[in-house]
Amino acid sequence: MINRFIAPTGSLVSGIVLAMLALAVAAPARADSSLSAIYQRQTIRFTHLSSTYGARAVGVNDTGFQALLRATGALLTWKPGERYILITTSVPVVVSFALGDRRYDVGPIALDAAFAPFQRGDEAYLPFDEVLRSLDLALRREGNVTVLQPQLAGLDVRQDGNRTILLAHGAAVLHPRILRETDAAITYSFEGVGTALVGTRQINAGGVRSLQISTTGTVRDPTTLVTVALASGAVAEAPREEERDVALTFDAAVPAAPTVAEASPTPEPAPGTAPANGPALVTGVTMQPANGGVAVTIAVTGDATYEWHRLRDPDNRFWVDVKNAQLQGPPIEQNAPGPLVSMRVRQDDAATVRIALSLQGPKAIAVTPSAGGLGIVVGAQDVADAPRSGSGGIGNVVSAGQENTAPVTPAPLDQSGAAPENPSDTTWKFGPRSNYAPTNPRLIVLDPGHGGSDRGTIHGGVAEADLTLDMAKRLRAILIARGWEVKLTHETDVDVYAPNDSAHDELQTRVDIANNAGARLFVSIHANAFINAGPYGTTVYISKPDDVALGRAIESHLASDGTKDDGLIKAHYYVTFHTRMPAVLIETAFLSNPSDYALLTSSAWRQKVAEEIADGIGQYTREYPVSNQPAQ
Amino acid sequence: MLLAIVAAGTWYVLSNRAGRNGETLAIYYAKQNGTTLGAIRISMRPRQPGESAAEHLHNTVLYAAVQAVAGPPNDVLAIRFPRGTRVLNVGVEGSTATVDLSKEVELQGGGSFGENGEFKALVYTITGIRGIDALQVLVDGARLETLPGGHLELDQPLHRSDW
Repeated sequence: MINRFIAPTGSLVSGIVLAMLALAVAAPARADSSLSAIYQRQTIRFTHLSSTYGARAVGVNDTGFQALLRATGALLTWKPGERYILITTSVPVVVSFALGDRRYDVGPIALDAAFAPFQRGDEAYLPFDEVLRSLDLALRREGNVTVLQPQLAGLDVRQDGNRTILLAHGAAVLHPRILRETDAAITYSFEGVGTALVGTRQINAGGVRSLQISTTGTVRDPTTLVTVALASGAVAEAPREEERDVALTFDAAVPAAPTVAEASPTPEPAPGTAPANGPALVTGVTMQPANGGVAVTIAVTGDATYEWHRLRDPDNRFWVDVKNAQLQGPPIEQNAPGPLVSMRVRQDDAATVRIALSLQGPKAIAVTPSAGGLGIVVGAQDVADAPRSGSGGIGNVVSAGQENTAPVTPAPLDQSGAAPENPSDTTWKFGPRSNYAPTNPRLIVLDPGHGGSDRGTIHGGVAEADLTLDMAKRLRAILIARGWEVKLTHETDVDVYAPNDSAHDELQTRVDIANNAGARLFVSIHANAFINAGPYGTTVYISKPDDVALGRAIESHLASDGTKDDGLIKAHYYVTFHTRMPAVLIETAFLSNPSDYALLTSSAWRQKVAEEIADGIGQYTREYPVSNQPAQ
Repeated sequence: MLLAIVAAGTWYVLSNRAGRNGETLAIYYAKQNGTTLGAIRISMRPRQPGESAAEHLHNTVLYAAVQAVAGPPNDVLAIRFPRGTRVLNVGVEGSTATVDLSKEVELQGGGSFGENGEFKALVYTITGIRGIDALQVLVDGARLETLPGGHLELDQPLHRSDW
């Protein structure tokens, strides 16, 4: 979509021409002009135009230019004194200009403009044509009228199993309508946009055979037609508008029977290797010391694929699923020497054997496939932000390049291939544990998130503050029944400090209640939300070294609360950071997600969550008793 | 004269081919699980004539911050700053960068999910710049304790180790 904007880079000839111009002209000849152009039936008048080297420059203070940016959903970042002039388009992609430099960047692509942006007074001037192209606008003429024609700039094809999603993006808000529909094809009409994407594209996946794109209408009132040829029995969903974009979704009629390789995100076998025939057998799993660490050997006969995952420190669990495999013999569950804690082997489902390791810390792990199985070496040393997943093949599906390699090495946090610039800074750093000793070791402070003038997030008429207070009271009842003393930061639906107070005053007051009481633990209860309905799940947040074990215990009990377990996350949150005792902030579920909403609005589910939090607290206090307090 | 023109033209072409890209920046974004980071890579333009090292660092922070706030293209599933959020200003003092965001950043829709992912990605992006190890966030020119109804403490510089 961007490549078509690439202009030929400077050739020797153009270089000579420019050099001649530079020598012949001491200063660029500039002539001011104005332009009226039609954009989506409204007239935009540009008054800060300047002709430079035969091309047009537009001033960033031009009200017409600013109106155009607003209309296309773009943002400009510049102020006098800055060298860089940045435009964020609605894609979004950042278009970068710099005063005095002909180079401009459209996202990751560097291009050359007709001339370098320049500054006149307090105004920067940009190459007009390049800006218009970056905004996916085409400058057209219709008679003596100039038209800024929005373009359907992208029709990205996203494949998701048996589903194909066409994501359309343009320089205007898109509202497609269905022009024609048969069992074999659907034609969508995108009115108001032209396109340079005219042509036919073969897809042949996810219910879509091909796309045919054409244009009709006039320069001023263009229409782009997209005809989707469907596979037999394919079903089209109604177009879904996503802000300025539109998603067209198609489902294939009959899901393809998944092969082992297709059913998992593991790579397919290398070309020329035999497909797996029948399940492989996991015939044994053994451990032995190896250079201060432990070597785990998984003996496999037959062909299988594997996929491993590890959780982020402090939850140092690792597991590998051997797929298309049967466990020969009974499940294994046993303690293990350091740096392991324990090992568990079981038939996880009909075709998957899972080997799960519990580690003493964020230890280095090397996974090595071979024709006879899989070797896992757990080292004694901690590693910073090791990779958290991987996959491969065992037996005949091991490619020559894989065998006898150690694919797991300390790597950056980023899983998309980008290395952090300062690897030494990527460690999840915790300082030493504090010597906090509760003066009231039987007291637990519960903090219902929000309250009073701060309702928290509100969805469907349900306020977070009401839910958190309800869950806190349920938890209080359970804990009291189990012999604890419990204090809530607020017993009723009020601000703890004062109505409409600052975040600092409100949160610090809650922190003070726990700190001043010398409480044993602090538990803040919340409901999450996001600007769209997608995210869901339960997350436990911690900030301090002392929080880790408590968070881990509570998270392990909440993992089965009925929504997704998003794990234990470290974040610099105010209440967990400033409380002196072990503390957690629990985002129980998302009010913004329909499934989670149903859970949160169920009193039975809130009771279940309260019980699971109480169970987590119980586990923690048993494992980490305070010296002057009997374990609960 | 002709020789001078040819020499100038050759110099122009060669100078525009050599050193076209400056350092590579990793622009992080939080994936939709809210915590895992992905990244896109962009190249910074080389330091320009008359651009001091300090100004180049400033420009690098500005470019990276605008890229991080924009996020990846829409077809990439990512946690995104609220629509309309923009970078108003940046600064660098010592090894701490300051990024001043517009008020739209406060439109988080409630919950910690968005702010945690957004700021983690921004901090990772900015502290990936050589010489920067902390980020002070301002909102509309002011240092906030937290976003309204938010959880993340913003009144002091953020580091990668905060996550």
